[in-house]
Amino acid sequence: MIEGFLSSWTLFHNTYLAGWLIGLLLSLIGVLVVARDQIFIGAAISQASTLGIALAMAMGAWAATDTLSWMHSDGFLTILAVAFSLLAALMTSSAGKAGGESHEAITGWVFLASASLSILIVSYSPHGLEEIHRLLASSIIGATESDVWTFGMLAALSALLLVAAHSRILLFAIDPAMAGAVGMNVRRWTAAISAWLGLAVGLSIRSSGMLYTFGCLVLPALIAKNVCREVRPMFLVAPVVAVGTGAVGFVLANHYDFPPAQMTVALLSLLLMVAWLLPRMRRGTG
Amino acid sequence: MENDGLVLKATGLALAYGRRIVLEDVNLEVRSGQFCFFLGPNGSGKTTLIRAILGALWPRAGQLWLHTDHARRERIGFVPQRCDINPTLPTTVREFVLLGLVGIRADSQDRVERLNWALDKVGLAGLEHKDYWSLSGGQRQRALVARALVRRPSMLILDEPTNGLDLSAEDAFLRSLATLNHEEAVTVLFVTHDIAITARYATHLVLFHSGSVESGPREKMLNRAALERVYGVLVDASCDASGAVTIRVCPPGGDP
Repeated sequence: MIEGFLSSWTLFHNTYLAGWLIGLLLSLIGVLVVARDQIFIGAAISQASTLGIALAMAMGAWAATDTLSWMHSDGFLTILAVAFSLLAALMTSSAGKAGGESHEAITGWVFLASASLSILIVSYSPHGLEEIHRLLASSIIGATESDVWTFGMLAALSALLLVAAHSRILLFAIDPAMAGAVGMNVRRWTAAISAWLGLAVGLSIRSSGMLYTFGCLVLPALIAKNVCREVRPMFLVAPVVAVGTGAVGFVLANHYDFPPAQMTVALLSLLLMVAWLLPRMRRGTG
Repeated sequence: MENDGLVLKATGLALAYGRRIVLEDVNLEVRSGQFCFFLGPNGSGKTTLIRAILGALWPRAGQLWLHTDHARRERIGFVPQRCDINPTLPTTVREFVLLGLVGIRADSQDRVERLNWALDKVGLAGLEHKDYWSLSGGQRQRALVARALVRRPSMLILDEPTNGLDLSAEDAFLRSLATLNHEEAVTVLFVTHDIAITARYATHLVLFHSGSVESGPREKMLNRAALERVYGVLVDASCDASGAVTIRVCPPGGDP
């Protein structure tokens, strides 16, 4: 099994590396999402990013190839994917003020509007629906070397930020009200972390699709939450779970000829179920 | 003017949220070691003044002076009205209390010493590895105080910290605060609606009403006229030498 995986390395090394680095990056940010109990925001941002891609594809189909060739580029798709996820992240994070709509209401609206519009927009584009279905189902097979570098740098930068400001990030994640009381500007912190989340999700959706992105964002952090006694070690456990499961998932997918993204997310879901059941089983036998 | 022991001074202070002015022309002095209670009806500006002292709200007018010890807020401990932690999040007493050290440089030994000292002061010594969510309501409230104390504050600010505590938990909580105030000379600013605990523990009072404040020693401030101005009803409050508190509220049109 391992030999088969290693022999596929030459052909798929960018896919494997990009998949693991996306897992590393999103699992780090996912701890903040899970700690603040904002899991649905991750789904809404992923869906908004898909809407950005749908819009870029529709604009590309409308634009003349000779004069507006940049609209047909991968870069344009990526820019709109990131722009829409950033916009959704900032919209959902700024909601919830007294007298206004709740976080849940705004997040639900972003999710539903993005999900419906992304299908409607590409309905008449050639291969549009096919592409949206591919994004929703997830495929990381087409990852490139530039994806590897991009996610590698973003993951390294995220890890550095977490090390440099771990106390503040921890307080912000656990108790934002107290963070405000000790002088942290909670609004700015919320906006900065939402922008970071939007950037990571937007880029990841473009490379790996919605299922893998949302799975890596929330499942490793949820597993870490169930096996850790404190929040701080969750920032170590979640990336280890994401990359470890990604490695096993990719090897299994290669051996049994399954899609790697779905295999990894299925394994993460299984691990989460085990993490839920283990304490109950211990209590039952204790 | 005598400045000895002055830790906080407001002069002509006005505080507002947008166009809504909450407090105007606030003049107030707090000295080191005072157990100062902020008393007043809902929406009278108690929490607003606390926010200004914590640096979370800038004065619209006037001055708010803090002793150099407190100017960077490192030696101010704050206990919020409620703790909005995600209840599904795993955390231990140790992790929770050490969150209070944000913005303070402390090596690992210093952190352990501060943690043990703070837990000891609130009667939670030995519980540092316990799951925070397994604590009782009273213990969680004391953990909140420990989180403020871990900063080794010379000023401790508490915003209605006894809400939701039963009588015995409230009593134990207030006794540990009084001990801190006496033994460590920690200045305590305590926001409450409870006249009984004010009569029992306060050395000084700040009364909030109609956008302004009055302040002074408890003996001078805790009287029928002042309380009537604040609450609009006739209230008599007294505390005898044994610490027993008597509160008499007059029925409308009657005499207490």
